[in-house]
Amino acid sequence: MKSDKGTYISVEIDGKRIQVPEGSTVLDAAASAGIYIPTLCYLKGLKSYGGCRLCIVEIKNMIGYPTACTTPVTNEMEISTKSPELQSIRREILELILSEHPYSCLICNDKKECQDFMHTIRKVTVTTGCNFCTSNGGCELQDLVEYLDLKDIRFPITYRNVQAVNNNPFYDLDYNLCILCGRCVRICNEERYSGVLAFVQRGNSTLVGTAFGESQIEAGCEYCGACVDVCPTGSLSEKMGSWVGVPTDSTTSICILCSVGCKMNINTKGNRIVNIGPRPGKRTEPDQLCIRGKFIPADITHHPERITKPLINKNGIWLEITWNQAIDLITKHFKKFTGKEFGIIGSAHDTIENSYALQKFCRVVMGSNNIDLSPTYNDLSLFKKVQGFQPVGIDEIIGFDTILIIGSNASVSHPIIENRIRKAYHHGAKIITAHSHLNRTHQFSNERIIYHPGSENIFLLQILNDLKTAQNIKFPKDISDALKLIDTKGAATATGIKQAQIRKITESLAPAKKILIIAGDTLFKSSLSNDNFNLLSNIYFALNNFADCEMMFLVDDGNRFGATYIGMHPEYLPGFLEVRNGAKKWSEAWGIDIPPVSGLSAEEMLSNLPGNNFKSLFLKGDLPNHEKLDELEFFVQQNMFITETSKYADILLPAYCFTESNGHIINIERNLKQINPAVHAPESIKPTWQILSNISQKLKNKSFKYRKTDEIYEEITAKLDLSIDKTTRKTSKPELSMPDIKIPGKKRKIEMIPEPDYFLYQGNSMSKLIPDLKQLIDNKGGKHG
Amino acid sequence: MSSLLNTLGKHFPECSKGDLIPVLQHVQDQEGYISSNAIREISEYLNISCSTIYGVATFYSQFKFNPPGRHSIKICLGTACHVQGGDFILSALQMEIGIAPGSTTEDGRFDLERVACLGCCAIAPVMMVDNDIHSRLSVIKLRQILSNYE
Repeated sequence: MKSDKGTYISVEIDGKRIQVPEGSTVLDAAASAGIYIPTLCYLKGLKSYGGCRLCIVEIKNMIGYPTACTTPVTNEMEISTKSPELQSIRREILELILSEHPYSCLICNDKKECQDFMHTIRKVTVTTGCNFCTSNGGCELQDLVEYLDLKDIRFPITYRNVQAVNNNPFYDLDYNLCILCGRCVRICNEERYSGVLAFVQRGNSTLVGTAFGESQIEAGCEYCGACVDVCPTGSLSEKMGSWVGVPTDSTTSICILCSVGCKMNINTKGNRIVNIGPRPGKRTEPDQLCIRGKFIPADITHHPERITKPLINKNGIWLEITWNQAIDLITKHFKKFTGKEFGIIGSAHDTIENSYALQKFCRVVMGSNNIDLSPTYNDLSLFKKVQGFQPVGIDEIIGFDTILIIGSNASVSHPIIENRIRKAYHHGAKIITAHSHLNRTHQFSNERIIYHPGSENIFLLQILNDLKTAQNIKFPKDISDALKLIDTKGAATATGIKQAQIRKITESLAPAKKILIIAGDTLFKSSLSNDNFNLLSNIYFALNNFADCEMMFLVDDGNRFGATYIGMHPEYLPGFLEVRNGAKKWSEAWGIDIPPVSGLSAEEMLSNLPGNNFKSLFLKGDLPNHEKLDELEFFVQQNMFITETSKYADILLPAYCFTESNGHIINIERNLKQINPAVHAPESIKPTWQILSNISQKLKNKSFKYRKTDEIYEEITAKLDLSIDKTTRKTSKPELSMPDIKIPGKKRKIEMIPEPDYFLYQGNSMSKLIPDLKQLIDNKGGKHG
Repeated sequence: MSSLLNTLGKHFPECSKGDLIPVLQHVQDQEGYISSNAIREISEYLNISCSTIYGVATFYSQFKFNPPGRHSIKICLGTACHVQGGDFILSALQMEIGIAPGSTTEDGRFDLERVACLGCCAIAPVMMVDNDIHSRLSVIKLRQILSNYE
């Protein structure tokens, strides 16, 4: 559809006169008039294909039967969509399509009765009829047969006899059911730019496939699941759902596995997740998920190793106890260790409500500011500083003409953001990638920089210095003085990037009008986080001298920003109020005096054990480093699984998965998003806030008592604005300061920086828990890296 | 940089996606067939995915995906040869050398290809081994002809 300013023209469809924007297709026009035209290959948001021929229409003064999806409307066009002749041709076309698809069940007189009684045989590998098909009930061919009232098919079935693939991670492929509509091929290439699927061979032997029949992993599949979402048949189907049946309910929720916070529809049957798609019912919307949102939530929610009851550690053996026993035991020990001796480490994959409850419990009930998230960022003030930059919307990325992405493996850590970068690249934006090693985003970039690992700060310095020289930018005096002293040759040796290459980047930045800097998580996970941040701010300042520059911080974990904002931080109270001087507001709200000293960060709590008098810990989720945990006197862990860390825990409590939770998160765009429960957690699991409330009641503390999640949300919103308005923050300018960077001499110190595990949920490594994900990660590192 | 990428750079300096078919023809001229390695290198050079290249290449019968044998057999199944029993000749040939059209024998002696017409319908059925035309074929003649090629 065109913009509002575009001209409207008048057309007549089935006797109905309507106004449609010029340039829209007959199919668009019919849709806006509420007239249904059957389609199979059409996908909203993708280029029209005209492959299935089902959308044929009759147009006055036009010869033949043009396809609605490819024919643009003209003024005073008269269109007929449902004449008996058209329906008869459509029926014949569908017959031809079905001649290569097992169709017996589709035209069987007893299909209704049959479906009622034969609902468990879909576990077979060869699909010879609807009742054996994973897509039964959700298949678009079934709908079309119904719509066109197809009673008989005159052609014999041509069974392709292609081996079905059942050893692929996450989804099964059975090309015997494929009708070659090309939706998967087109979405893979035109929307996701993955280039895994193509039509191979020709004529009768045409199939959807990969080069030389290699597996999806070998072909570089990113497992975004877009092809599965758009398949109208059962050729591509989620493994998880194929064992459950046709979904009966659908819940809209938010994926919190990364900070993008995609909307997803969780389709369920009973208390079981069947599949997850961009929308319920027909799964044909262009807003797609990635491997995390599409496949992982179901696997993690229904994981067989999940713990469902409180457990107590008796010399290394886990014994089940009741909730009353667990709460009594915890209360008994928590009484002993209040104040500085107690601490909480939470998860950035938790809701705002749970995070608020955790930090309030720690501060109000236990009188301690020792509260942090795991895994931590080195620079504690990072998120407060990030808040000074205007957030960039994910769909705004495509509007920038130049994108500089530094230190990020976005195709793994934030696939949806990387998808927008790919789109921007294909729309002609200039993409500059800089990372310590080659990754998939490099395929979609005009300038590729690979600097020595650990030299991010010097690389940023090179860019800054060259921007100053090439663009003649006036920096504050201390910064330009510091830049004068830079040893450019030494810097080039340290990063491995020659001055000429740097100049190429600054030259390509020069004509830009709208620049986006995407700062990856590796810039902030190293010990040089603060330096990197300051350098980026300086570059941001420099670029804003001649272009409209914005900055995006690719932090991981779904609610990292929200949880920090709500006070899961040793130095900040909710709303980034500093504990040291701004505690008045929350002291009044909570009716207690908050200790006016900063607490310990997660790193500090654990690193000085037992020297720092830290004795008792409540951990939500899991921790990466745990060698000192056995020195704790009392350690409670709440987690979905028993992990390596658990062996140090005295008590292990079961936890909710986000698919079962109710609450809110704040995503990378700093938008408040609501999470809704799609399935019920087992009854023996309690949410975190309820456990804390129970403990607080046992401790006879009256200021911490909740019965519902909504109560917590109301309490937060009464005091704090969570719907952060975009316009209010545009005014703030970052403070500029120049870090003191020492360029190493010829002997470079080599620092081992392990590739971060981007598949964590509440600290648990999902690649260890989900065999399909493990298979995928073990096989990675091939040609696509 | 491999030698293939080197020659691609020389012949197709523009690196344009529209060059895919000429590039594939060039590679086949150089190497005799399109190997999976070659597809990977073309993919890198033209920035087109391997699957797409393979999809395009398999659409055209001129591209081969197996290394050619020492001798290439082209068997004609055009109208005249078909009427004269070309199908039987092909089946017999397949049994004799043990491969299907489009592949190469394990010992690398023959590769087999079916073609639509060799332009000498008067002497059907025919086949071509390397550059020699063999006419009025029969199942009995076949073995004797093949023994001339080692």
